[in-house]
Amino acid sequence: MVEVRNLHKDYKVGKVLFPALRGIDLQIEDGEFTAMVGPSGSGKTTLLNIIGCLDSPTKGEVFFDRINTNQLSSKEKARLRQEKIGFIFQTFNLIPVLTAYENVELPLLLLNLSSPERKRRILAMLEEVGLSDFINRRPNEMSGGQQQRIAIARALVKKPNIVLADEPTANLDSNTARDILALMKELNQRHKTTFLFSTHDRLVMEYATRVINLRDGKVVGDTNTNRISNKT
Amino acid sequence: MLIFNLAWRNVFRHTRRSIITAIAISVGLSAMVFMDTMMNGVDKMAQQNIIDYETGNLVIFAKGYYREEGFFPIDTIIENPQSLINQLKTIAGIKAIVPRVKFQSHISNGIDEISVLVIGIDKADEAKVFKTPKAVVKGSFLQNSDELLIGEFLARDLNLTIGSPLTVIARNRYGTYDAQDFIVTGIINTGHPLLDRNAVLIPIEAAQNLLAIENGVTELAIKSQSNNLTELKAAISQKLGEEYEVYTWRELNASIFEISGMKRAFQFLLALVVVIIAAVGIVNTMLMAVMERVTEIGTLKALGFSNGKILKMFLWEGTIIGGFGSLIGSLFGWLGSLYLVIYGIDLSGRFKDINIVYPIKFIIKGEINYPMMLFIFVFGFCISILVTLLTVRRVTRLEPISALRHL
Repeated sequence: MVEVRNLHKDYKVGKVLFPALRGIDLQIEDGEFTAMVGPSGSGKTTLLNIIGCLDSPTKGEVFFDRINTNQLSSKEKARLRQEKIGFIFQTFNLIPVLTAYENVELPLLLLNLSSPERKRRILAMLEEVGLSDFINRRPNEMSGGQQQRIAIARALVKKPNIVLADEPTANLDSNTARDILALMKELNQRHKTTFLFSTHDRLVMEYATRVINLRDGKVVGDTNTNRISNKT
Repeated sequence: MLIFNLAWRNVFRHTRRSIITAIAISVGLSAMVFMDTMMNGVDKMAQQNIIDYETGNLVIFAKGYYREEGFFPIDTIIENPQSLINQLKTIAGIKAIVPRVKFQSHISNGIDEISVLVIGIDKADEAKVFKTPKAVVKGSFLQNSDELLIGEFLARDLNLTIGSPLTVIARNRYGTYDAQDFIVTGIINTGHPLLDRNAVLIPIEAAQNLLAIENGVTELAIKSQSNNLTELKAAISQKLGEEYEVYTWRELNASIFEISGMKRAFQFLLALVVVIIAAVGIVNTMLMAVMERVTEIGTLKALGFSNGKILKMFLWEGTIIGGFGSLIGSLFGWLGSLYLVIYGIDLSGRFKDINIVYPIKFIIKGEINYPMMLFIFVFGFCISILVTLLTVRRVTRLEPISALRHL
């Protein structure tokens, strides 16, 4: 469903080029719960951003349901993100002036869904993330874990094809991180939504069905719970 | 609705900052409205004073008089005013006609002697064209031929009061100096500096006698039935022929209204500067709003918001703050203007010792120009939107990743 071919990304700092990705080839199938691991600077976040159409590659291609995202205009990319991609950020990135309910409603408003349909979906989603009693709270009235649950609800409520999560547990304590991972895994299984996330967290090994190891902008390991294939 | 809702909430994210910005706009706009009302009032008052005390709606001179009006040439006068008045009776649109004799002369109270304008007025008919009889603040209007009216400030300067003797010295038509004693019978306050500070009024027959011009007059002042003077002026000119010249009150005071136009432009410019300073306030507020929310812009982009939607959100924010400021500014400007219209500003204390040229009273009353008020409101509104657009446009075009990475 997501195919990455020979992906390169260079960052220019002053006159010096820093290669962040050096020829990544990947295929993410529908319904996977895949973690990308690797040290800082290995290219995890860059890869997620390019797959999510938030950033553009220097070279190579990303196919999203066979659509080459390189050829999309910024408006078409916005629409792709609006309809098919959910994001979960390390710093939650909820809109502070909106309540939990409104934050989850935001992507649905962009899809022009009817008010009853929105309400039905939001309440069901908040129920699933266990925050039905927090609908009127603003982000600053919630804990980090609760905020991340709202962010997960916001990412999933529009029923995206894929959820991209960049270090979703990095700002959480280990217990909360475990809860969040368990929740994401549960939602992955229930909704068959593909999850692709970057992480440093060792806990992830307990949950991920596939672990992609990145180092210096290259895939150095791709581990499946059923099949282990080291590319080193 | 989503975009407006977000914008509305964002405005109240920093309520104090938004209110201060709106106040800055409102101060600028209310100053503009207030200034406009005051200038309208001053102009209207000046026009009214000129018509009520100096010229009437139209003035007829003998041909060539106006060219030398500043010298008050008594050899270029209307010799037979009554026949002219009779001729003009057939013209529709004339309410009344009164003769006047104006000449430059010296007056003396026995101690001081100064040069003033002497105006000979028709005791019986003056009130038909001018409001001079109503301007008597002390004593009474002219009844006998040796009586004289004097402006309040001139009387004060010369230490004159009711009953004081005053000698008018003038050179007559034949070049000989003649003098006549008068008794101050009334003190006038018209609001027109020409009459209040530089003129005395005497009966017309006394003036004619002093100048030895028999029944001659220097001008005929006309009160018209309507304010449309073009046709009336043409009709009178046609009737009287080339021996006489007809002028409207505005033509006779063109320089004053030129000054008024310049003053108005300058004061409006001043108010505009205030609005521009307020606009800088909006720039500052919107810049802060944008810079502290770059990451949030990135998040919205990640959720699928287009550049246009994000720009619209900020434009709404600018519109809400600017609209609120414009509304409050116009409202306060209007309230201040209402005060000006009803009570006016009393400047008599400030200006009693200053001789100003502008023919206005020292209590300045305003005149509200509603179309201009609407324009000022719309102007404030538009400038808020424009500066918001210029401020936030660049940031809303950032790549999502650049916005998300912004710290």
